[in-house]
Amino acid sequence: MIYGLILNILLWFGFYLIISLSLNMEYGYGGIPNFGKALSVLVGAIVAGGVVTRILIYIYHIKIGIGGFSTATSAVSNEVTTLIAHNPLLGLALFLLTLILAIIIGCIAGAIFILPSARLKEDYLAITLLAIAETFTMICYYNQSIIGGYYGVSVPDFLAFIHTNRGVVFTGIVLLIALITFIFFERLMNTPYGRLLRAMRENEDVIRVYGRDLMKVRVMTMAVGSGIAAIVGVLLSYYTLRVQANSFMITGRTLWTFYPFLIILLGGASNNKGTAVGTIIFVTVMEVIDFYKTNIVSFLHLPVEAVWLEYILFGIMMLLILYYKPEGILPEKPIITPAIKKAYETKKVSKKGVREEY
Amino acid sequence: MKDPILETRNLIKFFGDVLVLDGVNIKVGRKTITLIIGPNGSGKSTLINVITGFYPATSGQVIFEGQDITKKRPYQIYDLGIVRTFQTPQPLKKLTVLENLLIARKHVGENVISALNYKKWSEFEDELVERAFKILEFLRIDHLWDEESYKLSGGQLKLLEVGRALMTEPKLIIMDEPIAGVAPALAHEILKRIVELKNKGITFLIVEHRLDIALRYVDYIYAMASGKVIAEGSEEEVINNPQVVEVYIGGG
Ligand SMILES: Nc1ncnc2c1ncn2[C@@H]1O[C@H](COP(=O)(O)OP(=O)(O)OP(=O)(O)O)[C@@H](O)[C@H]1O
Ligand SMILES: [Mg+2]
Repeated sequence: MIYGLILNILLWFGFYLIISLSLNMEYGYGGIPNFGKALSVLVGAIVAGGVVTRILIYIYHIKIGIGGFSTATSAVSNEVTTLIAHNPLLGLALFLLTLILAIIIGCIAGAIFILPSARLKEDYLAITLLAIAETFTMICYYNQSIIGGYYGVSVPDFLAFIHTNRGVVFTGIVLLIALITFIFFERLMNTPYGRLLRAMRENEDVIRVYGRDLMKVRVMTMAVGSGIAAIVGVLLSYYTLRVQANSFMITGRTLWTFYPFLIILLGGASNNKGTAVGTIIFVTVMEVIDFYKTNIVSFLHLPVEAVWLEYILFGIMMLLILYYKPEGILPEKPIITPAIKKAYETKKVSKKGVREEY
Repeated sequence: MKDPILETRNLIKFFGDVLVLDGVNIKVGRKTITLIIGPNGSGKSTLINVITGFYPATSGQVIFEGQDITKKRPYQIYDLGIVRTFQTPQPLKKLTVLENLLIARKHVGENVISALNYKKWSEFEDELVERAFKILEFLRIDHLWDEESYKLSGGQLKLLEVGRALMTEPKLIIMDEPIAGVAPALAHEILKRIVELKNKGITFLIVEHRLDIALRYVDYIYAMASGKVIAEGSEEEVINNPQVVEVYIGGG
């Protein structure tokens, strides 16, 4: 039904807006090519599926039997979900606790994540971040003690007290968090900090001459970016009520690293509104393809599944943007602090193209 | 010279096998303008890069206010009160001219936590913007304040580079060819401003080829050739030095 399609678009718009805004700060503003973006989403999922579940297992005295941690999470999730069905406050407390923990642990993980590479030049930085993220994901997949490895873990449904339209409520919560994230980044970037990030992206030497420790700026930025991205991991976990490391392997890299890059390049790097525009376009295309995939495949007599069509289409889209419109839909704008706003209101705006030569 | 603010002691710099600084000893007197001249490739820019921590010295020392700064990183050197400009202007291309100047000062509003508290940094931001406009007016590029800096011409970029250094209030400003490509009238004014700032207590170390303009404003001159100081002293002493005449006329 078309209603389901719209709801899906809104939900994924929320997920993607949050992660893309955080990548936009790191890469669009700060020039940090975080090819390991998916890692922070995984960290959020670990907090929901591996940390909070452990706290619950401890509180509710669940025994970890022969089924191991994975089975124990199913037991505790069932129990807690039943409790939440009659106790909305418990559900909300669980959700908020997970969010806050994920943000804190995400920040710490982001800072540690960049440390080994904080002194590297951009190209090496990208590869190193990718490699660290991949390694960590592998560890989570092969080591069952973190989030159940191959088997995955269950998380309680914090919305169990909602009996009808759970999807609508959940989407509403995601959109609300996405809105707060947008406001947060708009506010955070229109400050001397946002200006410093853009300057760092343009020329690291200048920043060093003028007294900034690049490493400190990078670490701080990755901490914030990863903390926010971890929220997406939490939301995804509570959306599917499962956490599985393999969903962060190949598809995870596509969904949570490649697509966010595509979105900010499409919308316009270093512009939060551009990121929002990029997100809505991207998510709409993705969901429409997904919605009509069987029709598309049979209509076009495609020898492949529709999801491949999606990958191919997005790959081509990326190339076209880079080639024809590298600045994206909404171009970059100067940082507007109150003082600069005043300057734009009072000073003459220069006439473009008119240049006095000395 | 008593109590120099900056001193290099037997500074040696190799790039691979190539010896670029061959035991450079210079002293920069406090509150003076010191000029370094020398033919292309004589090692002037390299000397600046080593002093400001951009290149590690192979051996020798850089002493600033009595402290050994040879191994310090560029951002630490800024904190001690040294700012430098680059021979090839380094604009922050996508940032406006105004933003290019604002970045010169460390800002209370540039870490994540204080950034969100606008009250904490707005006043300083106001002061910075005001100061930046004064400098842009002085350099006569204020009409370009909201242009992205990549649109500027070569000469204008040079002015931007100088302007950014003037935004700060350091003890020592090191400039690599600040008036190259700048029209003579404005070049004189820049140097006059430098003299003014010197009288306010800032020390300058300047590399410059345009001697016809620069010489009359400076207090002390070093001439370099092939990584060595070949002459030093006042204008007459250096310009009439036979070795200096030879490297310049002999094509260095
Ligand atoms: N990063 C580098 N790697 C290798 N060689 C270098 C490097 N930088 C400079 N050189 C070499 O060192 C020598 C001195 O260069 P430097 O730029 O210091 O000269 P300069 O006196 O500033 O010349 P100019 O007047 O042309 O600016 C040159 O031969 C140059 O080729
Ligand atoms: Mg040079």
